[in-house]
Amino acid sequence: MVETWYAVLSFMLAMFIILDGFGIGAGMLQYAVGKTDAERRLVLHAIGPLWSWHEVWLVAFGGTLFVAFPSILASAFAGFYLAFFLLLWSLVLRGVSHEVSGHIDDPLWRTGWHFCFVAANILLAILIGAALGNVVRGVPLDARGRFTLSFFTNFGVRGHVGILDWYTVSVAVFTLVTLAAHGAVALVLKTNGPVHDRSARLARILWNVVLTLLVVITVESWYVRTDLFPGMLRQPFAWLGVAVVLGGLLAVFTGLRNRREKSTVAGSCAFLAGLMIAGAASVFPVMLHSTLAPENSLTAYEGAATGHGLAIALVWWPVALVLSIGYSLFIHRHYAGKVRPAEDTESPY
Amino acid sequence: MDDALLWHRLQFGFTITYHYLFPQLTMGLAWILVYWKWRHLRTGDERYGNAVRFWARIFGINFTVGVVTGIPMEFQFGTNWANFSRYSGNIIGQTLAMEGMFAFFLESAMVGAMVWGEKRLGPRNHFLATLGVAIGSWLSGYFILVTNAFMQHPVGYALAADGTLRLADLQAFLFNPWALVVFLHNQIAAVVTGSFAVAAVGALYALRNRHSEQASLFLKTGTIVGLVASVLVAFPTGDMHARKVAQYQPVALAAMEGRFHSGPMAEVNMIGQPNVKERRLDNPIRLPGALSFLAYGSFHANVRGLDEFPEDTWPTNIELLYYAFHIMVGLGTIFIVLMACASVQLGRGRLEKTPVLLWSLMLAFPFPFIATSAGWMVAELGRQPWLVYGLFRTTQGTSEVVSGGDVLFTLIGFVGLYFVLGVLYLFMVGREILHGPQPISSTGKRGAAHG
Repeated sequence: MVETWYAVLSFMLAMFIILDGFGIGAGMLQYAVGKTDAERRLVLHAIGPLWSWHEVWLVAFGGTLFVAFPSILASAFAGFYLAFFLLLWSLVLRGVSHEVSGHIDDPLWRTGWHFCFVAANILLAILIGAALGNVVRGVPLDARGRFTLSFFTNFGVRGHVGILDWYTVSVAVFTLVTLAAHGAVALVLKTNGPVHDRSARLARILWNVVLTLLVVITVESWYVRTDLFPGMLRQPFAWLGVAVVLGGLLAVFTGLRNRREKSTVAGSCAFLAGLMIAGAASVFPVMLHSTLAPENSLTAYEGAATGHGLAIALVWWPVALVLSIGYSLFIHRHYAGKVRPAEDTESPY
Repeated sequence: MDDALLWHRLQFGFTITYHYLFPQLTMGLAWILVYWKWRHLRTGDERYGNAVRFWARIFGINFTVGVVTGIPMEFQFGTNWANFSRYSGNIIGQTLAMEGMFAFFLESAMVGAMVWGEKRLGPRNHFLATLGVAIGSWLSGYFILVTNAFMQHPVGYALAADGTLRLADLQAFLFNPWALVVFLHNQIAAVVTGSFAVAAVGALYALRNRHSEQASLFLKTGTIVGLVASVLVAFPTGDMHARKVAQYQPVALAAMEGRFHSGPMAEVNMIGQPNVKERRLDNPIRLPGALSFLAYGSFHANVRGLDEFPEDTWPTNIELLYYAFHIMVGLGTIFIVLMACASVQLGRGRLEKTPVLLWSLMLAFPFPFIATSAGWMVAELGRQPWLVYGLFRTTQGTSEVVSGGDVLFTLIGFVGLYFVLGVLYLFMVGREILHGPQPISSTGKRGAAHG
């Protein structure tokens, strides 16, 4: 039961990062690939009408964490208090700027909101990356399972750590570049013309950086969490994750070389999914690792809500998942293929 | 620590009150749009098509602000109310997760296509998308109201060995009698908000002699829906809700009516000022026996006053609770009168020639927002001093690791951000209203902006 819910949550977080990662990544690149207003609008259209459906994966992840692991949620959300509000405010700005920029056909209005959109997406990628880095590195949990974090302390990774240290910052940079690369290949698939060509050029550069940073992050993680790789060796799912990462990378690089747009995107998704699988499997069952004393760490078994509630949720959850995918397919059917701006332009005035 | 509790409460209260301004209009407008869209589909009458296109643009702005102000709500359970989340997460997590899985996925998939995708989807699927948004938004409302109903009247739970709550009976929890009554009352109140907004825009256009075809349609739909909803929100749903309060939270009922002493022939106080220090209501105008009748169906029934309950179970802010309740009821009564007058004139075909009513309809739209906010203050202040009624006190629920200063900091952040959002919202919606509904010309492009 606990393992199932841990898997469900990992799946939901991976879905959020893969799907909303398109929007975040493409959003950051809006100015890099769009030189005119029309081209920048094209990027927003490529992100598409389902962006808010993508974002709901994060909200649904929060709700599911609530029902399955309430005490983990309580410790983590309260501990990361200020960082969480930065994340929430970035989500507010991102949603608003995406919606309102198209309403008024005025260069100043559009530039302002597009700038806001790009900035919010960059901030989101950094915050998500720093959050993932914190989960891997661990937090200063005390014996009662509580912690608080400053934004930074001495940038060291042991003992009384802050949200930002050299390790979490490098994970944040890795996430930023990876999501940008992920967004770039999606833009290649969804667009034509100059935006397509610029995205393709950027994608080739970005994926080379991703590959380099992946090696750096792996070595760093080895040093920061000494138990991570022994844990990985014991977990068949971690092996699966590593295989998916390598397969994904192969698909991306061959896809980029042969201009096979769909398989590049599939490879990019697999790369992110593989990283999430490998990460989730190697830290299991520890959900919040303590940097102060290993015995303070909170495991999935301790954090899980026991009993009837989880069994019942396992009945309705798959039903909701199937429905949800059905809705997105219903909409997606109408928006498949390259963006057609003529049909989507909202006639501003 | 006391300090921190105040900021935690104020932040949640502020962010939820602000947030709920938007979903209530979403939920109210959604079914009006479904109705127009359906008429358009059946009759091909472009009046309905234009009405949907116009309101869908406002709906899109409203929906976006609702979504972005809603996401912080869910996360604040963990950030600000960690001990409450530990205590009851296994139960209220069910409905919060269901809301994400069943409602948000539906709404979020459909809303973009509903607002911008008419050409892509074609008439039939565009109708389905509109319907999907309406169903999703009401489902979301239901799950949130079940969550709140558990806090008001906990059912279907068991106490685990570690002192936290566990779900014992999903059916009892999901079909909490409190939730069913509140769902009817709250959703119909949302329809009141939506219908007043539609009628107000119709009245504005009628007074300015612009978009006369759309003005008539907005006035007609707004007034008829408004009258039906205004009546239903008071009788039977408001009445049913009051009986539930009398049954399960008698101390809250006593505080809502400023009733300090028990006795039969309990009166409804139309006006009066609660004086908690002296334990009496100053300067009241009374309707003797009315409260006994409303709560228990008999003029002679005894309605218990605050003196029968231990003082540590009294709502913590009796004055605000009392005034919020009276504002809600007073406004609800005015809504019925206004919409009844407008409907009579509409029936006689003279509504558009009655400036006094047009002016009243145009200026009335903010008041349903005030009434619903006041109503929620009644529910939440009446629940105090409990987080989960009778089980878990508000003072126990906060995150002890988060300092008062941190919460004050984020509260100030929210106030600033939401102020900007509010200005932006009014600017965007005002712009849509000033521009008005434009008929679609044969080329599929909007006509030039002229009245």
